[in-house]
Amino acid sequence: MEYVDSLTGFRLDGRRPNDMRQIRGEIGVVAKADGSALFEMGNTKVIAAIYGPREVQNKGQQANNQALVRCEYSMANFSTGDRTRRPKGDRRSTEISLVIRQTMEACILTHLMPHSQVILIEFLVHILLKFFMYFLPKICFLQIDIFVQVLQADGGTRSACINAATLALADAGIPMRDIVTSCSAGYLSSTPLLDLNYIEDSAGGPDVTVGILAKTDKVTLLQMDAKLPMDIFENVMQLAIEGCKAIAHYIRGVLLENTKQLECRRGI
Amino acid sequence: MAAASTAGGSGGGGGGAGGFGAGDMEVEAYRRLFPLPFYERYLQNYVRPDARPLHRARDTSVALGPIASAHGSSSVKIGDTTMLAAVKLEVMTPSAEAPDEGSLAIEFHMPPICSPTVRPGRPADVAPVISKQLSDVITSSGMIDLKELSLISGKAAWTAYLDIYCLNSDGSLFDAALLSAIAAFSHLQIPLVSLNDDGRVIAVSGEQLENNSTIELVNKEKRKLSFQSIPFSLTCVLHNKYILADPTAEEESIMETFITVVLDSMGRLVSFYKPGGSVLVHSSTIKDCISLTKQRMEELQNILEDSTSAMEE
Repeated sequence: MEYVDSLTGFRLDGRRPNDMRQIRGEIGVVAKADGSALFEMGNTKVIAAIYGPREVQNKGQQANNQALVRCEYSMANFSTGDRTRRPKGDRRSTEISLVIRQTMEACILTHLMPHSQVILIEFLVHILLKFFMYFLPKICFLQIDIFVQVLQADGGTRSACINAATLALADAGIPMRDIVTSCSAGYLSSTPLLDLNYIEDSAGGPDVTVGILAKTDKVTLLQMDAKLPMDIFENVMQLAIEGCKAIAHYIRGVLLENTKQLECRRGI
Repeated sequence: MAAASTAGGSGGGGGGAGGFGAGDMEVEAYRRLFPLPFYERYLQNYVRPDARPLHRARDTSVALGPIASAHGSSSVKIGDTTMLAAVKLEVMTPSAEAPDEGSLAIEFHMPPICSPTVRPGRPADVAPVISKQLSDVITSSGMIDLKELSLISGKAAWTAYLDIYCLNSDGSLFDAALLSAIAAFSHLQIPLVSLNDDGRVIAVSGEQLENNSTIELVNKEKRKLSFQSIPFSLTCVLHNKYILADPTAEEESIMETFITVVLDSMGRLVSFYKPGGSVLVHSSTIKDCISLTKQRMEELQNILEDSTSAMEE
């Protein structure tokens, strides 16, 4: 099958090999969460919600001098072409959860949130309750929960999840080293292609997913399957990194816009 | 950190955008430590902390078609509670007892993003309850005639898989889920199918139709479902003599007795659900709840019609 038309150079969905799909990000979509974001890359739609920092729920997992980061990735039953009943703990979901957790852990400043003293609110005014003084120092260990839900899947779900998680972490105000963005690239019909959709992804060619820390240009995530000669691999990886930088630029714009609106509402 | 985020802690009222003075801090503290007396002060004036009168529901909005890959989908927001519903149709062989009927499979999910109390690996307690309630209400209300889901008698029929995901949980989950289910079904567009050479039913896309006009369509005329009677619901929470319609999550957790009434568009009672609770009710309270549901039903019918006409524009 011709993934890149030999005459015009267009891909199956009309993009050029270096074109990314249309991206859209929105912050604050889940009111109950501490931070949340919706991220779309073409037809792939993903919601991320952050709960934390909050008390560790599974005492066995805590690390002494830093906050614990947990992540769960799940796909909605209607997200793919065929409705599949996905068991929660299937291998692919577990693997992607692990990948996202380790990628985000690299950028969250977990050492800034070691165990802390949490003092419950002192109650003062009400006459009857003057005698109640809730003063309870507690040493607790903190965890940050990242939940990602795929609503529509059309290739690049891993990357969309990482981008959504970055936006949501920024919305939650969690201190980060840098923003992490991710993008995928492949090599079909002898052309490096940026941001594969589902059809191109399932073509059997190589699929390189890269996640970088935008400002420092450091690679946190790099995954590839299928075979690729070394020099072509470098081209494809470079293309994916360019895609990541473009997404980082967009994400910064979204965050800036959001901050301006917050300032506006506070009357600054 | 939580104060800086746009999500914020409790619902309306309190500190908000004005900054925290000593007075605000104590109100918030009082609200957390003694929620029931806090609420009772408002209830005495027949109003709630978010300035709603006791019998008014929150702002409701319905959007059709957010999931393009599903055959029918909808997104409903009642206040902050957000539901996303999608219907996917698949062909299967009907059972021997009912060769002319398709089937419905309804599932309700509460993923961990919807609430801080839902943990991964441990589904929310209330999710299977709502799932069953939804299933029962939709089948018993007779909203969908299963015969409309039939393709070829005895050989092929549609199974409609309805999946509802709660994206944000802030009370009245059942109401929002039911509304999103109805909206998704009303948005449903049944795909065109034809028989291929092996005698199996396959889906036909628009382009294939243009290219090959000799494809024989099995269901050319029947693209949308017609509804006999549509169920609408309202959940009310009870405290002493007060009835609060459309509770938020905070209200539901403080005042644990609730009643869910489901009426259909012809005004008949489809379902009445009062699962215990410390407040015992007289028939007068029951009648009040039913009349509140009637009012709410008219509002919801208007909202649904608006969203359908907005889609068609």
